[in-house]
Amino acid sequence: MSEEILKALTQLFAIITKQDGGVTEKERNYVISFFQQQLDQDSIEEYLALYDKFADFSKEGAAEKPEKKERKLTSVRDSVKTLAICKKINKTLTQKQKVFVLIRILELVGSDKNFTPQRMEIIDTISTVFNIVKDEYRLIESFVLPKKGDNNLDWEDILIVGNEMPPEGGEKTNFFQTELNGDILFLRVQSVDMYFVKYLGTDEVVLNNFIMKRNQIYLFSHGSTIKTPIGDALYYSDLIMRFMQDMQSVKLSFTAESLGITFPNGGIGLRDINISEGPGRLIGIMGASGAGKTTLLNSLAGLVPPSKGSIKINGFDIYKQKESIEGVIGYVAQDDLLIEELTVYQNLYYNAKLCFAEMDEESIHKRVMDVLVSLGLDQRKDLRVGNVLDKTISGGQRKRLNIALELIREPAVMFVDEPTSGLSSRDSENVIDLLKELSLKGKLIFVVIHQPSSDIYKMFDKMIILDTGGYQIFYGNPVEAVSYFKRITNQVDRVQGVCPTCGNVNPEQIFNIVEAQVVDEYGQFTNKRKITPRQWQGRYLEEFVFEKVEEVSEAPPATLNIPNKIKQARIFTVRDTLAKLSNRQYLAINFLEAPFLGILLSFIIRYRSSPDGTEYIFRHNENFPAYILMAILVALFMGLTVSAEEIIRDRKILRRESFLNLSWNSYLLSKIIILFSLSAIQTLTFVLIGNGVLEIKGMLLPFWLALFSVSCFANVLGLNVSSAFNSAVTVYILIPLLLIPQIILCGLLFSFDKLNDAISTRGKVPIIADMMVSRWAYEAMAVYQYTENPYQAPIYRYEQLKQQSDYKATFLVKELREKIRSVSKYHDSDNDSLRAIAARDWAIFQGEAMREPDTVRNSMLRLGLDTLTINEFNERVGSAFETTLNDMENFYLDLLVEADNREQQLIYKMENGDGTGSEGIDFNEFKNRYYNESLADLVKNIATENRILEYRGRLLQMVDPIYHLPEPNNAVDYRTHFFAPKKHFAGTFFNTYGFNLVVIWLMSALLYFALYKEWFRRGLEFFSKVNLKGLLPEAKPKPKKETEKANKAEKVAG
Amino acid sequence: MRKLLWGFVAVGMFACGSGEKPTDNSIDDFLTEGEEETTEGDDPGIPQEVINEFMNALPSPLETSVALKESGIPYSSDFLNDPQKVSHYNSAFSRAMNLGVYGTDLGYTNIYEQNQDAIFYLNAIRDLADELSIGQFFEFTTIKRLATQSTNLDSLLLVTTQNFNKINEHLQSKKRSNLSVMLLAGGWIEAMQISCKVSQANPENKTLRDKVAEQKVVCENINFLLSIYVDSNPYVKDLHEDMQRLFAAFEQIEVITKYGEQEVQIIDGVPTIVDSTTQETNATQEDIDKISSIVYEIRNRIVD
Repeated sequence: MSEEILKALTQLFAIITKQDGGVTEKERNYVISFFQQQLDQDSIEEYLALYDKFADFSKEGAAEKPEKKERKLTSVRDSVKTLAICKKINKTLTQKQKVFVLIRILELVGSDKNFTPQRMEIIDTISTVFNIVKDEYRLIESFVLPKKGDNNLDWEDILIVGNEMPPEGGEKTNFFQTELNGDILFLRVQSVDMYFVKYLGTDEVVLNNFIMKRNQIYLFSHGSTIKTPIGDALYYSDLIMRFMQDMQSVKLSFTAESLGITFPNGGIGLRDINISEGPGRLIGIMGASGAGKTTLLNSLAGLVPPSKGSIKINGFDIYKQKESIEGVIGYVAQDDLLIEELTVYQNLYYNAKLCFAEMDEESIHKRVMDVLVSLGLDQRKDLRVGNVLDKTISGGQRKRLNIALELIREPAVMFVDEPTSGLSSRDSENVIDLLKELSLKGKLIFVVIHQPSSDIYKMFDKMIILDTGGYQIFYGNPVEAVSYFKRITNQVDRVQGVCPTCGNVNPEQIFNIVEAQVVDEYGQFTNKRKITPRQWQGRYLEEFVFEKVEEVSEAPPATLNIPNKIKQARIFTVRDTLAKLSNRQYLAINFLEAPFLGILLSFIIRYRSSPDGTEYIFRHNENFPAYILMAILVALFMGLTVSAEEIIRDRKILRRESFLNLSWNSYLLSKIIILFSLSAIQTLTFVLIGNGVLEIKGMLLPFWLALFSVSCFANVLGLNVSSAFNSAVTVYILIPLLLIPQIILCGLLFSFDKLNDAISTRGKVPIIADMMVSRWAYEAMAVYQYTENPYQAPIYRYEQLKQQSDYKATFLVKELREKIRSVSKYHDSDNDSLRAIAARDWAIFQGEAMREPDTVRNSMLRLGLDTLTINEFNERVGSAFETTLNDMENFYLDLLVEADNREQQLIYKMENGDGTGSEGIDFNEFKNRYYNESLADLVKNIATENRILEYRGRLLQMVDPIYHLPEPNNAVDYRTHFFAPKKHFAGTFFNTYGFNLVVIWLMSALLYFALYKEWFRRGLEFFSKVNLKGLLPEAKPKPKKETEKANKAEKVAG
Repeated sequence: MRKLLWGFVAVGMFACGSGEKPTDNSIDDFLTEGEEETTEGDDPGIPQEVINEFMNALPSPLETSVALKESGIPYSSDFLNDPQKVSHYNSAFSRAMNLGVYGTDLGYTNIYEQNQDAIFYLNAIRDLADELSIGQFFEFTTIKRLATQSTNLDSLLLVTTQNFNKINEHLQSKKRSNLSVMLLAGGWIEAMQISCKVSQANPENKTLRDKVAEQKVVCENINFLLSIYVDSNPYVKDLHEDMQRLFAAFEQIEVITKYGEQEVQIIDGVPTIVDSTTQETNATQEDIDKISSIVYEIRNRIVD
């Protein structure tokens, strides 16, 4: 209290007491005792002199008194003075302090029971200026100055503790029966949340180890204890609860019985923990590091299932009947679980939206604002949360926001892990204050607390103390804990838990006692404890009886009403989008990456490609096939990198939200929506620029759709990886592992015909490559560009017929002729191996001929193509087949000529107009614009040396894959050669482009399913369990002798 | 989840468009669809043997070049078609015609031992042959090997010339004599063009004039060959019309043949029948100019 205020108070005292009869000795004595509480001996004299001066008090001046009595009304001067002083006080004192001052003034007046109207008027004025509500003023007045028989203790905010209800108490009064002479009165001043106590009896009642003076008013602060000679101790929390009307309506019981946890590695985390609590409690969990505090908290919160025992809320097992306790539990982890990119308000708002489906916007806004105001965060609501490195709000505010996130849905039971770690003592106190307040509203709150200050420590209603190895060594009143441990170890001041002079508790003492070590003969501490954890537990069990609270049988209170899955997905999406939008770096990188790469790539590979080297012509750009590959890789890369961190980053928030039982599918869908949109934009900008610079015309949408599909696949793949691994670094290391196979097996860099025999078959894309999205996309884009470009599209059919006829007439017929000749020659050979060759060649002939269209096949069938065996073969049949081969050749030659003629007619029409006056087109210009020679070379496989290849009983067409329709072996045979113009499945031919995109999307869908089921994560967990056990060396304790030797050696050295 | 999967499938089906029946009946479709407009292309009405005979009777374009060199006319690449224009030829017609053109150009550069130019023409010829699916007659591995050393040019040219002959044979045997005719027509026009240019540059040289004029017979034969394919190929039709104009320009000219002995000479490794029979014409320079202008016109239409 500043000098100025004390002066002001002195003046106030003086002004009041000098009214109506002046100062009496009693009043003066009260003032003196007040000063004694506030000041040192010297100053008391000074202030007393000041008081005397203002109050016109003089010991000799008793004669003056009568004069003053005549003054009926408060002098105007005094009134003005009073007002001035009060205003001064208003500026510096908190409301709590003002209430305190008011009570002191009332007490002063009450000390001599001189309640003249003038005095009361002044006090009334003071209370008005202090902004104390009228009702509350009257309440305080009633409490401080009780008038006999007036029922003036009939207030809800007054609690009477005593033998029997005093006559003053009315219907509204709270009464609590205990063995006591006289009553103890408690007052609650609701507006400032303060409690006062006074004792009216004659017993020796002790408040915080001080004997209470009769009729004197004491502040009843957090953690205070009152001990009566006979009855039980009265704890602050017990008493406070009696004031709480709401709390009585909360039906809650929380019981953990003989809880034990054994870790997978055999270590024991917790042993036989018993906890039983009702509503409105703030329970602390303390213990040395490694004692299992967080394990206990997590287990109680439903995160780590116990190996033994049960945890029940209102009789529902929290692990076995999860659905019954949905939304009852709240959990605040030690780390920040905030969405850094969002503002304080947004964090809360979207959390609220996920919790309360039925609320409209306005109620949610109101609720959020209420919570923010109650946590003192309303001024900060529009600040971005930021992270540790990029701080915008303080640590205490972050912690409070974390709590607010749980608070907003009002879970009945809350678990808070080390809320004060890393906070200033003031912030710590604020946070615990907040929790205390919540508990007073009927919540049951468990808090793991580390090195609490005295004030914080005293705020807890109960304390659970764990010792190394998961032993429960104390469970009860916190202040009691100190004296309990002191008592057990026979310490000197063992009765007192609280410092008798300052009222402080030193929780450190507990651990000093618990962990006290045996001293060896040299005076050095040894590793051995004086009392082992097991012994401590034994003592505790001897001294305390575990009392179970009555189990409530009704469903626990839950306010949660989560929205349906679609709404959840929408909320997740909006929230995540906002978070991403507020991250400038993220946006810039993701939106500029694609155009930048597009420019880089296309600029570099655009060159003077025309044959004479004077200008750029798309047709002659030899980099085009590589451009398609690069585009696919860019799409894969962007898709993977943008998604690979998504779930890892959200993992903390997911953990928090796991208590809400939100839909995993909705969450994933929101990710998919955002990532796919991002991919759509990225690939679009890439294609726009890439195709634009390289003058790839008419391919914008098809290329975009293919790249978009690839990027989406990569997104889902990235999400899988992200959900499977724990750190972003692992994921980024993994990216090459995922991408390089895609590059190797895309079909462009390494021909599928020239791969290791173990994985490939000639004439078909290897199955391992079929698992690569790059191969599907590459084929789709290349085939689409080649067949659908405006130059090729009209003539593709003719080209196909021409090329296929040419292949058959020129190569296949020739090969078949050789086969039939070989059959003719060797079918009756004496040499077995030659006959085998004949048989094989006949099989090949049969197989290939059977694939021919009926026009070709029929004449061969008449010769017995399908039925004839090698034994029935003779020269005549052989030459007959050769004739049919001539027919076959002629058939295809005619076809070729016909197709060629029609193509020429078509081109002629296109070039010269169709005679109806329409302008003809320059076909050559068309080709320059839309056709690419390098791509054509690729899809026509002109580089191949073998145009036809005998392979495993087949004659494979190696040339012109783009014209070669696949020949499926069965209905579900989807496999084809690379660059097939059509794909076969279930008896139908599909366009390669559409088919391949569907394959990509099916792969994405499969991955999504894997993500939904978390296959990768489970697989990894399984893998690590199986593999690592036994491989890792276990830490072995040093043999004893060696340790001793080492110790001795140290001493000698020392 | 399941709905999502079906969604993917549905989108996929949509993207695929309607599927097609599995049997490969595109050939049958093709043959039936065009029935009413089927051309007589595959049946010119004239026996293949006759066509082949006619074609084999045409002189090799190489002869012109030999004659030019023997007359001491210097080499000029200005007469020739630009080998880089190969990418301009996209229809079978223009490819075959220009394959002929380049063949003549290759022969011309060969006769004048212009090795570097010859390699350009080789490449152009190879590209066109590939496009026409007759690339297999060029043993490119051999050609590549030979092309790396300029001293091998002779053998290189031998191979190519042989290849040309093989192509002609192949096309004729594969019912593609239409391409063969175009190839020959292209080669002839190019040779005519060179002769005309040289002759116009040397108006006093009667031998050169005669060389041009005596092609009257060849022109007539080519016209006949082209006429076979006029209905099946609109490009041939256009060309045939032009050629008839050209033939009309020849009409005033009379060719008088003085018969001599025939003997076989080896010209650049190729056994060639050299006829000592000489021909004289009454062609005037005006006739030549008239012929030339039509030849240039046709030739330019082919190569551009």
